[in-house]
Amino acid sequence: MNYNRTAILLLLVASLSHAQDAVPSQGDRSERDPSEHEMIQQLVQQVKALQEKVAALESQRRVNAPSNTDATSPSVSTPTPQPADNDAPPPFLAQELHELRGFQWQGFGEVDYKVLNQRIPELGTYGFVPGSTGNFYTGDLDLLLTSRISDKASVLAEIVIGEGDAQAYNIDLERMLFNYDYNDHLRVSFGRYQTGIGYYNTAFHGGNWFQTSADRPLVMELSDDGGVLPTQAVGLFSTGSIPSGKLGLNYIAEYGSSDTIRPELNGHGVTDENNGNHTNIGLFVRPDSIPGLQIGGSIYHDRISDFAKGPDIRLGQTIVNGHVVYIWHGVEFLSEGFLIRHAYEHSSRVYNTPAFYAQISKQFHRARPYVRYQYINADQGGILDDVDLPYGPSFGVRYDFTDSIAFKTQLDHTVRKGEPDLNGLHMQLVFKF
Amino acid sequence: MQTRLIVVRVGAWVAIALAGMASIGAAVAQTNAVAMVVAVVVNDKNPVTNVTTAQLRKLFAGEKHAWAGGLTVKLFVRAPGAYERVVLLKLLDMSESEYKRYWTAQVFRGDAQAEPVALFSNGMQKEALIAFPGAVALVNFQDVKGGMKVVKVDGRSPGEAAYPLN
Repeated sequence: MNYNRTAILLLLVASLSHAQDAVPSQGDRSERDPSEHEMIQQLVQQVKALQEKVAALESQRRVNAPSNTDATSPSVSTPTPQPADNDAPPPFLAQELHELRGFQWQGFGEVDYKVLNQRIPELGTYGFVPGSTGNFYTGDLDLLLTSRISDKASVLAEIVIGEGDAQAYNIDLERMLFNYDYNDHLRVSFGRYQTGIGYYNTAFHGGNWFQTSADRPLVMELSDDGGVLPTQAVGLFSTGSIPSGKLGLNYIAEYGSSDTIRPELNGHGVTDENNGNHTNIGLFVRPDSIPGLQIGGSIYHDRISDFAKGPDIRLGQTIVNGHVVYIWHGVEFLSEGFLIRHAYEHSSRVYNTPAFYAQISKQFHRARPYVRYQYINADQGGILDDVDLPYGPSFGVRYDFTDSIAFKTQLDHTVRKGEPDLNGLHMQLVFKF
Repeated sequence: MQTRLIVVRVGAWVAIALAGMASIGAAVAQTNAVAMVVAVVVNDKNPVTNVTTAQLRKLFAGEKHAWAGGLTVKLFVRAPGAYERVVLLKLLDMSESEYKRYWTAQVFRGDAQAEPVALFSNGMQKEALIAFPGAVALVNFQDVKGGMKVVKVDGRSPGEAAYPLN
């Protein structure tokens, strides 16, 4: 089309130039003196020629493109494709040119500063020193490796270099998955994964870069950082869609070994749950009619040990989750509720731990302010009694300097049963590379 | 007398030139209006003929991994700056930054092998569509060529009234 436009303009300019040449100046009029009639005829012919050329170009454009002058009736029922270029590369070469090969690396890092108004020792995670009023730490350096094996098979590995006490670093293979996507209804993964209990764990995994807030909600904290849920396991899981039309029903099914060892939040020791194999089934809907909405739930079951009460004490662990998530038009609303039920096998004693969190945020240009409220009420006497009853709000802002660098500031107010309220300021620089 | 005649002739030519340019301008404007229509195109061997807007959104959000026949979906998008990219972001209700962050998260979650390949021309999109049987892309309707199959959206073809990808 640019060619057509340029050609028409050139024709006009050339015609004007020719017309100027045809108009004699005062000086040479005596040498070239065509009659006025001849000149008018010449000009009329040139105008006609120009009109014909414009008409021809417009008709050529109409052949190549649909006309939408009449919006009330479909003017184009079938498109008229232009012929394929003869110099197109062969398909196998084009495939190679458009395909990613080998490992793909991505890194996610963070630098944190956290200060609390209490010196009472509490669990130190991600390098935060328990008992201090404030210190810097580097949190997790997250390295993600992905590789495509075939159209349907791929490998994913997530390696985390985490900071511990006294700037000691450890390496953890957070995830290692062999994925096979048979179709939309059956996508199977084998390896070490993060359990699909609820939404947060599978939406954000261990990546602080992705989450709006500076830290995870207490109930969703990773188990090796004192979290109450079995957040990681080795085994297999399957996800996919269930034919349901516009309802958008999906499932997740997991079978694996959690083997959770969690440090107690009061810093007094660790709890080895010595898990058996767990089963987790989840369903969620993403209705076509409300883009961005996800509503779902899951039920997880496992058998674990309570070594504090005896070497052979076993109990059933059942975790029920329900969640509502809405992410659309810059709004992010996350809300999840949990009931963690521990039932001892050789007694009738049952411990229930309800928990929930809700978080809402809204994007304003580069800034995303957010509010979160969280609550855990661990039943005293059970294996989660170190958690007790913490609850309270958090306020913060995430500011994205670029697509790869963001800064978060978060204020926390946590009410603790039998302990002074805990106020904290958490600043975090996150980046991806 | 002669001077007046010359002025009249030049004036006539200027008027003709302006009229011609106005005509060309109108034609170009109409052409641009047509060019603003973006078609959903697939490999011509793909049996799909129609998608809904919701299905299209799921396709380009990486939530749909296979076509009805089991063919693996292969997404191709235009690089930032192209009109097709603007239409894509409007479809997904995302800014450019949100789009990049979304796909980084999709890969991180294991829901996608990689971010869709961003191509710098519709000619490259055409090559990719011919090469990959499961390929799907958004292409300016003016640039639809042989080897590309145009898919209706909500039962409407590009250029029809209420076609959603304008």
